[in-house]
Amino acid sequence: MSRFGKGLALLLVLLMAFSVLISGCGSKSTDQSNASQSKTETTNKPVTLDIFQFKVEIKDALQNAINTYMKENPNVKINLETVGGGQDYGAALKAKFNSGSEPAIFNVGGPQDVATWKPKLADLSDTKAAKEAINGTLTGVTQDGKIYGLPFDLEGYGLIYNKQIFSKAGIDPSSIKTFDALVNAVKTLDSKKKELGIEAVFAFPAKETWVTGLHLSNAFLSPEFDGDVMKAFNSKTVEFKYGDAMKQMIDLQNKYSVQPTASLDYSTQVEKLFGTGKVAMIQQGNWVYPTLESLDKNFAENDIGMLPYPVPGYKEDSYPEGVPMYWAVNSDKPAEVQKAAKDFLDWLYTSDEGKQIVTQQFKFVPAYNGYSADSISDPLGMQLFVAASQGKTYGWVFMGYPNNWGQNVLGADIQLYVNGSLTWDKVISHAKQAWADARK
Amino acid sequence: MIKKAKFFKNGIWYWLFIAPTLLSLIIVVLIPFIIGIYYSFTDWNGINQPVFIGLKNFIALKGDTEFWNSIFFTAKFAVACIVIINVVGLSFAMLVTRKIFARNFMRTAFYLPNLIGGLILGFIWNFIFVDVFQTISDATHIGWLGGWLSTTNTGFWGLVIVTSWQMIGYVMVIYIAYIESIPTDLIEASKIDGANSWQQFRNVVFPLIAPAFTVSLFITLSNSFKLFDQNLSLTAGAPGNTTQMITLNIYQTAFSAQEMAVGQAKAVIMFLIIAVISIIQVYLTQKREVEM
Repeated sequence: MSRFGKGLALLLVLLMAFSVLISGCGSKSTDQSNASQSKTETTNKPVTLDIFQFKVEIKDALQNAINTYMKENPNVKINLETVGGGQDYGAALKAKFNSGSEPAIFNVGGPQDVATWKPKLADLSDTKAAKEAINGTLTGVTQDGKIYGLPFDLEGYGLIYNKQIFSKAGIDPSSIKTFDALVNAVKTLDSKKKELGIEAVFAFPAKETWVTGLHLSNAFLSPEFDGDVMKAFNSKTVEFKYGDAMKQMIDLQNKYSVQPTASLDYSTQVEKLFGTGKVAMIQQGNWVYPTLESLDKNFAENDIGMLPYPVPGYKEDSYPEGVPMYWAVNSDKPAEVQKAAKDFLDWLYTSDEGKQIVTQQFKFVPAYNGYSADSISDPLGMQLFVAASQGKTYGWVFMGYPNNWGQNVLGADIQLYVNGSLTWDKVISHAKQAWADARK
Repeated sequence: MIKKAKFFKNGIWYWLFIAPTLLSLIIVVLIPFIIGIYYSFTDWNGINQPVFIGLKNFIALKGDTEFWNSIFFTAKFAVACIVIINVVGLSFAMLVTRKIFARNFMRTAFYLPNLIGGLILGFIWNFIFVDVFQTISDATHIGWLGGWLSTTNTGFWGLVIVTSWQMIGYVMVIYIAYIESIPTDLIEASKIDGANSWQQFRNVVFPLIAPAFTVSLFITLSNSFKLFDQNLSLTAGAPGNTTQMITLNIYQTAFSAQEMAVGQAKAVIMFLIIAVISIIQVYLTQKREVEM
């Protein structure tokens, strides 16, 4: 009897487990029928495009753009889905592909993503947008002469400064075009700290390993790899040819920063110190503009500018600029869908209407030629765009670092360097070793 | 036969009632745990098809100094936390079980931090350590209040303070329950025998709340070893991963370096460490418990 009881219990347990499975399958099968339905629709109507993208900030603006496009091209139906902003886009994209509902247009981040997704990536070299892309923006997604992605936008960084503090101190920012000039300016500012009402010249956020381990190091490793992310991606070793210059830059920012730097974070740097005029300069990029604008619109519009990020012995008057993400087209889709996808991206980035949307509504710094500088709404973005069109830039290579190396090895060691518990030589030797180990 | 029939009746209801819990426990704890152990013997990176590679992950861990540093740091942290939480928790429990003013208010106040989530606690205390301490230090020139969380030492004590602040209230409640269950006649008898309050505590109260020690030590021990949220939001391992605990190290390995299998191997080692220490601790403290 008791055995029977146990048996019954087991049966019940199994039944419940099974019911879970059944319900799981149930929802899946309805999904599939939906998918097949939409597929039959595709063959009836001309084309359906599914876009799966990560930039949450442009979600609504992109939907507007799509609506406009669909009105002009009634045979094209576009579905937009956005996953990002704190959620893991990479994992979501993998899940999307595994579930069988593959998007026609999706995003890839750089060489590592291209290597992962290569079997699914269509060659985009025949698009108008690819021809218009600013020199150097396509290297990260070009392999064997094929272009696998189209850049979203340009982002760049440098030393963002407070114009009022500079003019009070009698410094002409346009004269700072070398590292030595920067050092002089910093010393002048430091000597007038009291009159200017600042706590320090810099706010150096060593706590944020992406600021030090990715962005700062990128400036000094970019020349070593000729600004080519693919060279960094394929390199078995790293030399730190500009290691001394990098040390000088860290020392300068650290010495004249609000202390202690090892616990200084991004919001302290941007909002609490720079946004309130307590420091004169910060190393940041054009992505801080919306934050500063929300703090004080007038300050953001009129009182900030960006100095170049000098690398002595390489380029001292240029900005490191790069592409944070790329559009990719799924090569497993039928030819007419791929064609429609390319047409949409071309329209978005090269038509007059699309250009208007990209600069005014997305507030992007365009990574393409044929835009006028006046159309860009924020001063930092405009400066970057002008620099790019004058060739005063150097490329981002940190997308080509080994996984985890920039932040967790180099950035972490820089924290120990600035608080005095690690020598610079050790930082460099550890970083070289870790790179070589990761690329074995 | 009657007995058996009764058991059968109980059995069915027994199993029915525990089935949902048992089932979810199996699905979300037991099965992933076993799959996890399997993954630790493979080269899985989260995308590829896992290939069995034997003990390679575990052997490679021998040279991973950062991992062993994080274990050492966690052990140090656990010792400090266990001592502070239990000593202060017991003192608070003794305090609020006396007939003193505002004891109920104090109970609530001491327990309150335990209701705040670890991540938020970490961010709040980050502000206190970095900004408030610094401001006080600048105004009063008390040197040791400046530069918190920028060195390994202050990072360590920062973590100990936050975790203790959160856990003390919880442990206090456990001690209160046991202290209040001590029969008053035992205390009175010791008073009549002329025991002073220290002797009373040492020889009467202390042995009788030994079961509370078993529970509290176990909870503080496993919580200190498994701490993650506070570590992430307070220091995130800064400076230079020297305040990184085991769990954060595992997270970094699995999700930043994308070496899922290696992270899983580390997790298995962490499980073994916690299991062994907890079993020894429970065995030792249970031996000390006295029957009333």
